[in-house]
Amino acid sequence: MYHMSKFLPFILVMVNSMSFTQTNVSFDQYRLDNGLTVIVHEDHSAPVAAVVAMYHVGSKNEKVKRTGFAHLFEHVMFKGSEHVADGEHFKLLQEIGANINGFTTEDGTTYFEVVPSNYVELALYLESDRMGFLLPAVTQEKLDNQRDVVKNERRQRVDNVPYGTADERIAKALFPETHPYNWPVIGYMEDLSAASLSDVHDFLKTYYAPNNACLVVAGDFNPSEVKSWIEKYFGSIPRGKDFERPAQVPLSLNGSKQIVLEDKVQLPRLFLTWHTAPNYSREHAVMSVLANILTRGKNSRLYKPLVYENQIAQSISAAQEGLEIAGYFQIDVTAKPGRNLTEMQTVIDSVLQYLLKNGVTAAEVEKALTAAEVSSVNGLSTVLGKATNLAFYYSYTGDPTWINRQMKLYEGITPDEVLAAARKYLMQPSVSLSVVPVGKPELAAKKGE
Amino acid sequence: MKTRIEKVIFGLLLMIATMQTVSADDKIDRTQRPTGKPAPKIHLPEIQKATLKNGLMVWLVEDHELPTVAFNLVMNAGADHDPLAQPGLASITADMMDEGTKARSALQISEELDAVGASLGTSSNLDGSYVTLNTLSKYLPKSLDVFADVVAHPTFPDKEFQRIRKQRLATLLQQKDQPPAIATNAYYYLLYGSNHPYGNNPSGSEASLNVMATSDLVAFYQKYLRPNNAILIVVGDTKLAEITSRLESALADWQPGDVASLTVPPPPVQDKMHVYLIDKPGAPQSEVRIGYPSLPRSTPDFFPVTVMNRILGGQFSSRINMNLRERHGYTYGAGTSFRFLKGIGPFTASGGIVTEKTDSSLIEFMHEINTMWEKGMSSEELSFAKKGLLGNFALAFETPAQIAGALQNVILYGLPENYFNTYLQNIDAVSLDDVQRVAKKYLDASKMAVVVVGDLARIKEGVAALKLGDIVLCDIDGHPIP
Repeated sequence: MYHMSKFLPFILVMVNSMSFTQTNVSFDQYRLDNGLTVIVHEDHSAPVAAVVAMYHVGSKNEKVKRTGFAHLFEHVMFKGSEHVADGEHFKLLQEIGANINGFTTEDGTTYFEVVPSNYVELALYLESDRMGFLLPAVTQEKLDNQRDVVKNERRQRVDNVPYGTADERIAKALFPETHPYNWPVIGYMEDLSAASLSDVHDFLKTYYAPNNACLVVAGDFNPSEVKSWIEKYFGSIPRGKDFERPAQVPLSLNGSKQIVLEDKVQLPRLFLTWHTAPNYSREHAVMSVLANILTRGKNSRLYKPLVYENQIAQSISAAQEGLEIAGYFQIDVTAKPGRNLTEMQTVIDSVLQYLLKNGVTAAEVEKALTAAEVSSVNGLSTVLGKATNLAFYYSYTGDPTWINRQMKLYEGITPDEVLAAARKYLMQPSVSLSVVPVGKPELAAKKGE
Repeated sequence: MKTRIEKVIFGLLLMIATMQTVSADDKIDRTQRPTGKPAPKIHLPEIQKATLKNGLMVWLVEDHELPTVAFNLVMNAGADHDPLAQPGLASITADMMDEGTKARSALQISEELDAVGASLGTSSNLDGSYVTLNTLSKYLPKSLDVFADVVAHPTFPDKEFQRIRKQRLATLLQQKDQPPAIATNAYYYLLYGSNHPYGNNPSGSEASLNVMATSDLVAFYQKYLRPNNAILIVVGDTKLAEITSRLESALADWQPGDVASLTVPPPPVQDKMHVYLIDKPGAPQSEVRIGYPSLPRSTPDFFPVTVMNRILGGQFSSRINMNLRERHGYTYGAGTSFRFLKGIGPFTASGGIVTEKTDSSLIEFMHEINTMWEKGMSSEELSFAKKGLLGNFALAFETPAQIAGALQNVILYGLPENYFNTYLQNIDAVSLDDVQRVAKKYLDASKMAVVVVGDLARIKEGVAALKLGDIVLCDIDGHPIP
């Protein structure tokens, strides 16, 4: 158990206008005997506390033909445990006005409760009961019910949404079939149907053990009291076995892929995707700066010609998406009525070619760094934001002190570094997905035009 | 006139009761639930007020936890002020405010804000128009200068207007792809009709956008967007004197005017239930909306209705969500809301329902609405709802954005200055009789409209067989097909 500047309150210090805002989120980090990592952060600015339980398991721990399981399991976690009846978890927390939810990504599953600060113990009790005593309460009926709910979630978020299946089409083309980022977090309908009760048991035993989790409590409370509750409720949960995590492997495309998808959309949209670097790496930061330079604001490299000046595009955005063991860079552009995606492709190609030849300016880099700074500061405006950041930094880097040096990876990024990363990644083969209105394949981006 | 500074302390420190002592036994009995410690003190925002020479009131809540400042200029004219022939006017006017000023082009405005990482937003909704700014406090002078320029000197250049209009027309086209947007737009049209400002799409229509000109925008701005019809909310890491001294000169050209006060007209009365069906062939889900115009924010029944709705469909563990999602698995989520506006807003039950269960879900929706209408709720439910709302209140003032949002409601709806001080008592005072009374009054299903957007080939027969009311087939805008 080690302590970090334990008695400092949460404060922010500005050094001067040329350097990034320094944050000082102080916290205690320690480990229970069963391997559960605990992080406690005191903040008395509002009578509020956040409890975050994060399990280092996501869709990338799933197997082919069993996709969607991590997320389905997240749903089951809300259906009661040995000492908490079905429906009671929500009821007990909504009765105190708590804000509660859970979310699953490729890499992690996070549960949270934001409670009035006098109810921290209740939130800890409920999290511990479902960490340690879930299995006796899981029945076929509950599983079937949540399977239906998740299928409805898929309809609501994917199948009944314009462009909703684009992401999974791209992932399928970008990652090899055996790579765990090949399939969508929400899973495929047929795999959801196949999930069995014994899958639930195996999954829980392997991944929902305290040694694969971290518990973050942030807010307005007496920390020694909170620590005693954590020992009381979580201390007796048995440690689980170690397991093998999917490793980072080199990824590349043999050649560019062009896909056309006809969908119920009015306006065609083009997605261009390249392999890049995973999250929490310098190159992730550098490519994020590039994304910003390309599409943030009216003066950005792609927005200006496509949306502002020529007005042939309705919208455009670019992003570096960093996951735990891989990352990708994506540009998506929606054409104006009457325009086709080859026109979009032509402008993007010429802007990128010019950039790859001539680089970016210092002013552009500085703007992008300022935007990153603002978003890192805003991420700390709530106890939930701080708790989630601490949980993510712990789970993915092993080092929650990252919360106080979020801009570290951005420090000293130069135009030359941006150019080098752009050349390294964007000159490689890409996946091009054209989503066009049904019956109008001629609007898709055509190769070599 | 000198800048006037008053300080109003929203001071009462409030307590939520429930006492329980905790013992940290190492023998642990998990059937014993922790029940909570004494309720924490809730620090209500302390508002400092000033009035600029041009009549603009400034409300500041200092919050120095983060080095950021949030501004929200709340102007009391939104889509409710759109002329009936010009839906979308308030929205486009707001949209155009940051597209050029006397001193700055659209590109310069964007460039100067991007240089300091500030975000400026201009928007409107049914009740008001807004200019917001979020900035690091170290860049406040630069970003506030652009903010003030946009507020005081917009020029509504025609070149930018042509671009914005084109973009808006494409957005309307894109809404035709989105079943939730189709359902909501059609629902408001069918409830309020085209002779009521709430019946039109606040983003405008193809017809209205095509005839709009920049002179209309200038006229709307000059008529309604005046300092004496607005209040500026500021929350964050700054001081009142700094804000007022900067704005006094930066907003000097923004002058007050005679602003006519408009009242939102009453909605048309529905005589019986109608079922409106909109076809979306192949849709895997049906988007359902059920309800009718119910009551305005100024209603004396606000608190009983809020408590009642929390049990009916206002939270995850509400009757409707537990029924349709958890018990039946028909949906990812279903709920109900009362939309409180200056005029009479609607009560709405809604959800995205798996296609083959569309008719079954309507039975359950109607069952839950009618059960609440007929029997009200139990005393356990009443206490559950009230406790939850009290707890919510403790979470309501954590961030600058939350505080600014709470103050925006005070401004738009003319809530009393002690509104937050008395909130807990007002919730606590709601009785079972109050709930029963408002349920009878505001949940009369016999006069509600049902709107369903889905695959009619698969759902029409089942829905018609329920005989809820006359079936009316509508186009994608909600206009009945003759």
